[in-house]
Order: sequence, then structure tokens, then C-alpha cells
Amino acid sequence: MTAYMVDTIQVPPSRVDAYVALVHGVAVPVMTRAGATFESCRTTSPALGEDVDVQVTWSFADHVEWNLIRKNFVLDPAWHDLAARAVALRTGGTRRFYYPAPDPATEPASDAAVVAAR
Amino acid sequence: MMLRRYEMYSLDPAAAPAAVRSLADAFLACGRFIPEVLDSAIGTNLTDAPVRLVWEHAYESPEAYQRYMVQPFHACILDRALLADSPERVVTSNSFGAGLVGYACDGPVYRLGAGVRRLVLLDVAEDDIGPLAARVAAHAGDVDGLAVSIVAANTMGPAWMDGVTPITGRPPWSHLWEQGWESLEAFGAYRDGDSPLAVAERSGWDGTPGVTVRRAASVHYKLIAA
Repeated sequence: MTAYMVDTIQVPPSRVDAYVALVHGVAVPVMTRAGATFESCRTTSPALGEDVDVQVTWSFADHVEWNLIRKNFVLDPAWHDLAARAVALRTGGTRRFYYPAPDPATEPASDAAVVAAR
Repeated sequence: MMLRRYEMYSLDPAAAPAAVRSLADAFLACGRFIPEVLDSAIGTNLTDAPVRLVWEHAYESPEAYQRYMVQPFHACILDRALLADSPERVVTSNSFGAGLVGYACDGPVYRLGAGVRRLVLLDVAEDDIGPLAARVAAHAGDVDGLAVSIVAANTMGPAWMDGVTPITGRPPWSHLWEQGWESLEAFGAYRDGDSPLAVAERSGWDGTPGVTVRRAASVHYKLIAA
């Protein structure tokens, strides 16, 4: 199984480039070093007259592995610096964890292993 | 071996009150989602120490604590409001050094049904504070309204990953004196009184042989139990 952590961050259009550069230049090496896998970084359009969503997705095997990744980045001074720089750029956002949701027609959703992992 | 654990947080003044309330509710609800979390209670610190929200709880064993660490509720709900890089963080970093403290005990000696919790944080030069613990034990029973009194080494601070293995250095607060009071009035009478323990606290524990208390601080709060 793979689990995903999805941060959906709101930033003013004027700060999108800086935030995306922070993701690729700092967050990816820090989180990869900790053991997470970088999946994607996507944005909404900056031309809509509203804050831009920057959606960053990381993956890992399960919550046991996430616990180790979490330990690694909490002990990394670069992660704390990353966090401080991100706060200065964003106006809000959410963090959610996601899990595979196979078609119940072909794979029973009541699979105990999948439910337990969630 | 049980593990007694405290988390203490300063709050972001810009955080929405509803988000802070959600975090407090999550602490109180934790045991419903993670059965390993025992005796969850929260409080709002009433001292001038730079922490506001306190979460106290316990685990039946290090193994129970290790299961808590990998529970999705921990990562998904609690950490959402706590981790420094989370966009939903409502707490702030601070230099108080008591973000996570706690100790090992043989049973739920900390239990207090209602009243006021007080945690005295001690930075002691020596590892063994037996003489200070003995001094507390000798007099605690004579203090009106003091229902719980435990002196212990802060073993949880540096062992936050599995509850037993230190992964960081000596914690800023090496020892704890956990207290449970019947009421704020009882604690106030002690604090302002001249009992041997109150006098010892005010003097910085002078006269305790073999124990050098370099710093002390405390938090106390009305207990809000789950």
C-alpha cells in the first residue's frame, strides 16, 4: 500500500514562484532525505484574481514508515528552516492524508488490511 | 511500566479560536480513536510560563506508546495542528523547553479526578535527585489539599520516539514534580504559606544536600478531563 500526504497551500500570486522554488529547492531534498517520496507539485492558475493553490503531494508506505520519516525531519534543522520560510509565504492551507480507494466492484473496500492502514 | 506524558504548547495569536478548540477537542477525544491513550486531560496554563495549552495523558507501556505513534489519528488530526511545517498549525515554537516531558511509573499514581494540576519543572545539575525526592516525600502528606505528589526524572523528553530510548541530549528540564490539588484555593494557600515545601520551593531548594537546582518553573491549570 502507498499513503499520501497532500498539502494544499494558499499563496498570493506574487509569491507563487517563491513558494514553488522553496518546494523544489528545499522541501524536496529535506523530505527525500527523511525518507518521503516526492510525488508532485501543482498550482491553480495565477490569473483568477484570487490566491493560488499550491498542492504538494508526498508518498510513503504506511503510517509506520511515516513515523520514521517524521522523526528524521523533526531532527533535521533544515526542516525547521523550511517551515519558517513556508509560513512567511503562505496565507493558509490544509494538510490531509490519503489512501488508495480501489473500485469496490473489482476489489472489496472492506479489505481489513487496507482499512487498518487508514 | 507506565509512561506519563505531557505536551505543552504556546498558541499562535493569529490562529482561529475554532481551530484551537478543535485541537483541544482532539486531545480530549484521543482515547476514543487511540485506545492506548489513557487519562487524557487538558488545561489552560495559569502561570507566566510561555505555554498556554497543556495536554496530559499516559500509556500502559512503552509498547502502547509506540502504537500511538503510528496511529493515523496522531499523524492526521493531532499533527495537523502541531507540526511546524503544517499549513494548519495553531501552535508556535518557544524556548521554554517543555514541549514534551514525562516520566515512567509503575501505575497510575498521577490520577486526579478533578481539581488543579501543577507541574514543577526542574533543571538539576545531578542525575540523582534522591535527596530532593525524599524531602518532598517527607512533607507532602502534611500539605492540605495536595492529593498527588510525584518526583521523577524527565525520561520522556529525550525518548519521544519510542518512550524508552533517548534520541536527543539531556532535556532542558531534567526532573519533574507533578502535583494534583483539590482546588485552586488549596494550591494558593500552599504557595503563599510557610510549609516546609513552600519555603524550599521559594528558596530554590537550598539546603537539599547533594542536589543543585539550577532553574525551576511551573505550570498549573484547572483540569478538564475527557
